[in-house]
Amino acid sequence: MIDIKKEIQKDRRAFIKNVLSGTIAGSLLMVIPAGAALDERLPEELPGMRGDDSPFTKNKFAFIVDVTACIGCGSCCVADKNEYNVPDGNYRTWVERYIIDDHDEVFVDSPNGGLDGYTKPRADIPNPVRDTFFVPKLCNMCEKPSCVQVCPVGATYRTDDGFILIDKSRCVGCGYCIQACPYSVRFLNPISRTAEKCTWCYHRVRKGLLPACVSVCPVHARKFGDLNDKTSEVYKLLREPHVISVLKPEMGNQPALHYLGLRREVV
Amino acid sequence: MEKKYKSSYYGHVVKIALILIIGGVLAVWARGLFLPETMGQYGHYRGGDLEDQRNVEVRNHTNESCYECHRPIRLIHKAGVHKTVSCEVCHGPYADHIKDDKYVAKMPVKRNMEIKTLCLRCHNKIIRARPEESIKVVALPQHLEEKKVQVDHNCNQCHMVHDPLLWVKAAYEMMGMEMKGDKK
Repeated sequence: MIDIKKEIQKDRRAFIKNVLSGTIAGSLLMVIPAGAALDERLPEELPGMRGDDSPFTKNKFAFIVDVTACIGCGSCCVADKNEYNVPDGNYRTWVERYIIDDHDEVFVDSPNGGLDGYTKPRADIPNPVRDTFFVPKLCNMCEKPSCVQVCPVGATYRTDDGFILIDKSRCVGCGYCIQACPYSVRFLNPISRTAEKCTWCYHRVRKGLLPACVSVCPVHARKFGDLNDKTSEVYKLLREPHVISVLKPEMGNQPALHYLGLRREVV
Repeated sequence: MEKKYKSSYYGHVVKIALILIIGGVLAVWARGLFLPETMGQYGHYRGGDLEDQRNVEVRNHTNESCYECHRPIRLIHKAGVHKTVSCEVCHGPYADHIKDDKYVAKMPVKRNMEIKTLCLRCHNKIIRARPEESIKVVALPQHLEEKKVQVDHNCNQCHMVHDPLLWVKAAYEMMGMEMKGDKK
């Protein structure tokens, strides 16, 4: 007791300061809700998306896959399956392995969609291999989507900011869109019996997060961003000289998914 | 003379007209009943679906979310060459582990030979499609022979999985040697 009294006597001002700040901090802790919404605690990876409650953003999103960087680890496929609990045997995104031999014959495989990674080399290639690489595939988010055009019930639609989405409650599972998609990204979910496909993680993007596959890619082969933002990586990549191409340009769907360093053999 | 045969009875026409009108009204009413409220709000789709799509659960978080609790791993993982590898790819999604800020389930951890499978998923040289700028690849068992260790050694006997070069670098330092082809 004497010691405390001595301390107080020594510096009364500092003591009061300490007590006061302690009280204020303590009461503040009780006022501020401890569990802020989980999504808000996550880092904002896409600027300006938080707090935007309008139905459509002003952004123009683009997705770029760097084929020259992809190592075919299948992290994207794992993250995608985890994010949406995709039923076994169906893939919202998958990774294809291309092998081109010196007779220009092309071999493509994708065991379990790349979900288990690539562990074995292909044994059935008769000639020496000239070139081999991985091509991740996902929804192309076309400017002119064939799938939206054919849907008889208005279940699939294109938002003003460029996402093609499927309304689960409207879809009757006729499968027309699955046939119409030139990129075969759609499948019929065997549980809900509705069409399903990659959404570029619309729910994550609207919360300011990158799509799940983009955020887990260890070699940054998948890039996602806003083309209206001139500082974004996708803007720079699409406007600087690079070998950029889209899949099946002759179909006229005008995909927003671009590939960096794609070989012409890829379909 | 022709006028004589023209009937003044229009009952059948009225009946048909009535049926058509009632049918039309019923059809419009039924359409309103079956169409969702926000159908056609922004286009030929249910406008309310935009809200539903936004409310899909975020199941994968970021490494930062994991580091909030797993502090020691944070220091190791963030400093090492595996810093871009997502925790959730090997250990499962955050949402299976934590719900409403509460611990719900233990996450899977790879053990023993599963580790070797996991490492070779990315680092196997036999899959030739891997660009060298992206990743260091090794061939087994040549790598073990080259490093003069037993060929049945597991990867994690030399390499710490969260930072593969941590122990290797430490060992080189202790011996006062330089690492060959050290990029990092």
